[in-house]
Amino acid sequence: MSGVYQPDNESQISDFIKKSAKANHPIEVVGYNTKAIGRYIQCSQTLDLSRMKGVVEYMPEELYIKVRANTSMLEVMEVLKSKQQMLGFEPVDYGYLYYGKSNYGSVGGAIGCNLSGSRRFKAGALRDHLLGFRAVNGMGEIIKSGGTVVKNVTGYDLSKLVAGSYGTLSVLTEVVLKVLPDPEYSDTFVIYNLNISDAIKAFSKVMKTSLEISGACYFPKNNISFFRLNDLNNTHSVLALRVEGQKKSVIERIESLQSIFKEMKQTTILELYQSKLFWKIASNLECFSNSPNIVAKISLAPSDTDSFVKQFCEDSVLGINNKYFIDWAGGLVWMEIDNSDPSYLIIEKIKKFCLQKNAHMTIVKSNITYRSTGSFLTSSSSELKSLTSRIKKSFDPKSILNPGKMYAGI
Amino acid sequence: MSLQMPQADELVINNKENIVSELKKISKYVLFENEEITPYETDGLTAYKQKPIAVVLPETTQEVSNVLKYCFNNNIKVVPRGAGTGLSGGALPLQDCVLVGLGKFNQILETDFENRCVVAQPGVTNLSITQAVQHEGFYYAPDPSSQIACSIGGNIAENSGGVHSLKYGTTTNNVLGVEMVLMDGTILRIGGKNLDSEGYDLLGLITGSEGLLGVITEVTVKILKKPQAVRAVLIGFDTIEDSGNCVADIISKGIVPAGMEIMDRPLIKATDDYAKAGYPKDVESLLIVELDGTESEVDILIEKVLEISKNNKASYHRASTSDEERMRFWKGRKAAFPALGVISPDYICMDGSIPRNKLADVLGEIYKMSKKYGLGVANCFHAGDGNLHPLIMYDSNNAKELKKAEQFGADILKYCVKVGGVLTGEHGVGIEKRDLMCEMFNDNDIQQQLRLKQAFDDKNLLNPGKVYPVLHRCAEEGRVHIHQGKTKFPDLPRF
Repeated sequence: MSGVYQPDNESQISDFIKKSAKANHPIEVVGYNTKAIGRYIQCSQTLDLSRMKGVVEYMPEELYIKVRANTSMLEVMEVLKSKQQMLGFEPVDYGYLYYGKSNYGSVGGAIGCNLSGSRRFKAGALRDHLLGFRAVNGMGEIIKSGGTVVKNVTGYDLSKLVAGSYGTLSVLTEVVLKVLPDPEYSDTFVIYNLNISDAIKAFSKVMKTSLEISGACYFPKNNISFFRLNDLNNTHSVLALRVEGQKKSVIERIESLQSIFKEMKQTTILELYQSKLFWKIASNLECFSNSPNIVAKISLAPSDTDSFVKQFCEDSVLGINNKYFIDWAGGLVWMEIDNSDPSYLIIEKIKKFCLQKNAHMTIVKSNITYRSTGSFLTSSSSELKSLTSRIKKSFDPKSILNPGKMYAGI
Repeated sequence: MSLQMPQADELVINNKENIVSELKKISKYVLFENEEITPYETDGLTAYKQKPIAVVLPETTQEVSNVLKYCFNNNIKVVPRGAGTGLSGGALPLQDCVLVGLGKFNQILETDFENRCVVAQPGVTNLSITQAVQHEGFYYAPDPSSQIACSIGGNIAENSGGVHSLKYGTTTNNVLGVEMVLMDGTILRIGGKNLDSEGYDLLGLITGSEGLLGVITEVTVKILKKPQAVRAVLIGFDTIEDSGNCVADIISKGIVPAGMEIMDRPLIKATDDYAKAGYPKDVESLLIVELDGTESEVDILIEKVLEISKNNKASYHRASTSDEERMRFWKGRKAAFPALGVISPDYICMDGSIPRNKLADVLGEIYKMSKKYGLGVANCFHAGDGNLHPLIMYDSNNAKELKKAEQFGADILKYCVKVGGVLTGEHGVGIEKRDLMCEMFNDNDIQQQLRLKQAFDDKNLLNPGKVYPVLHRCAEEGRVHIHQGKTKFPDLPRF
């Protein structure tokens, strides 16, 4: 057996995996193939899920949508929009990063990588919105977990486990996502010219209020020019705070922000349309559009972000100047790492920082050499690695589903 | 005990003396005398009792690890226990087990407002986390009704909910990290003060795993700033259908209330007689909607909800004008357990989740079953998240009634699954619903979960006999039993 197989349904996937398991033939599982995240793997077979698409059931009053796993994320977003609903985790369009143009990819792909946008710190990650799924494990068995209801503690919560498993545990066939009402209105309050330390302080200040901020990001001066909005000055650093909800409440909360930051002289407000556009551009990583460099995201405690940025992103004394921005109210650093250093010294230093500070780096874009040899994750303790390997085996004992995609040898 | 549990290991039981003396070398607090271990023989599911061979109360993670390692090496089963308030029998000891109580882990280790989190030991109560941060206006969102007594470690084991989970999620959406010990003594740290962690989402997996995968020794949870304003509306309807339609309408109009609760007529009467909450008595269904946010936002939402309720034939409505009044609205609802204790000697509390639009259908079926079994039933429903709690009334002095009540309960859960719901929304499977698991899962699903269990505990020594049917037997078993109002914790508000 070799080549590309395009199944039409779950039972075909099951048969294919059963045969592959019997013959010990590894399978690379591919959806839209838009996200080059994870280690580079070569398998004798490709399971191409292009045909496993379509909305199965959408129940706006029940706040869920059930889709076949390879349904396009954009399609899901559009279907929900028709009923003024949305996915709370704010799907990210990684197309710009890899190809310089929009491509949301598939729902299954986003689940496999557990990709969440700017609203993540308030609304939870994608994994928090996956209510249930059907899948085929590495033995070709069809399995299911969860359901369509939000409150469910029946058995282990396997939805959490498959989200962010990079297709190494099972092949998702059908998924149920929680949906939320689209906010009626939104505005964004912008503060210019803060340095990174003051930006982190501002995040902290605003997160100690009950203003229910749903987006909080910071772009330094050297990474702002790609924003082209009428009301945004793109020559200074920008700290942006999004407020969503009832129009009257949004306006009042923006006024509260103005009063909290009244000592800041350079501020502006992006109203509804421009606010939406701003967060789309920010969330979709357009600042790294077509980047030739390595791009990584680092999830860390907000109180460690200032020192991280000063060590690895901007230091005029040491001449460090890596393009970056901050999201999740200080809890996430996105950064570019120069591709020209073949030793990737800085990556090793960041990993060391992460291990010391209990933070976590994921390399989202890199070159094929690095993807073939390096580790795109921080690198776990040996105990965690051993448990990870046992979990993988419990789903896929012969290790035929995306073998090596997360860790070499697993 | 009528429930089938894993076969007891006679070697372990006969070796009690030696095991106790070995455990004493590891931990200062080892209980083994009959009267010392009696308090640990059951949890909130009081119908089932079993004494373990010994109870250990370790004080440090290293001690937990050493106890587990010793038990692992000597093939001794271990049952972990938090506050013992669980309603599904998850902490029920086994005849041949060592019970590891986390009661000495009762410290809040850090309140970190910069990173909006609290680091606590697992024995700390749910409410004390909020109490530790409320001076700064913060709180911990998941609020199971037993929050004054249940432990945060137990909340993680059960993925506890509360009335606000539609808007704020359950435990799993509010935990940032844990330290846990595997059955072989391995100590692992997962997550921390950051949002995303490395590798498979073990944090998500361990939450709600009912003490089968590891013993939690430290937790980091997210805290939120209290909303500016909270108000509630009380709405009465002449039919259950109308109240169900009203809930659907509220949601489809884009409103996500902090809480939405429905009570049926028998429960309205019982709770109002008991708590004098001032509920209308001539309605079939009573809906409480709680809204939070900024002052003006809440005012707007209250108006919208009232308008929606009128469009759905509401026959009664009242919006709270003070926090005192809001608390009064909840007073009856929160007193559901003791109120029923007054009108019936015994009752069973069920816990299924259903799609919201099936409420009228499911309640109709429950009333039919009530007639069929000749037993009274009262219902409350977390309408926001579809979690239904039927309370089946019976008299345990009549042996036949107990069996009938259990059968009635099992029929309700089966019907919940049939309409697209699940067996348990927040109480956990434990031993209570263990043998109904096959109603929801087929053999492939169960085997997958059992293999996963093996990845953490290959000897199946940690809390065996819980959640998954022993020998894959699917039959009806017991529920939450309350006899003569004597629950294990009679004062605790429930569900």
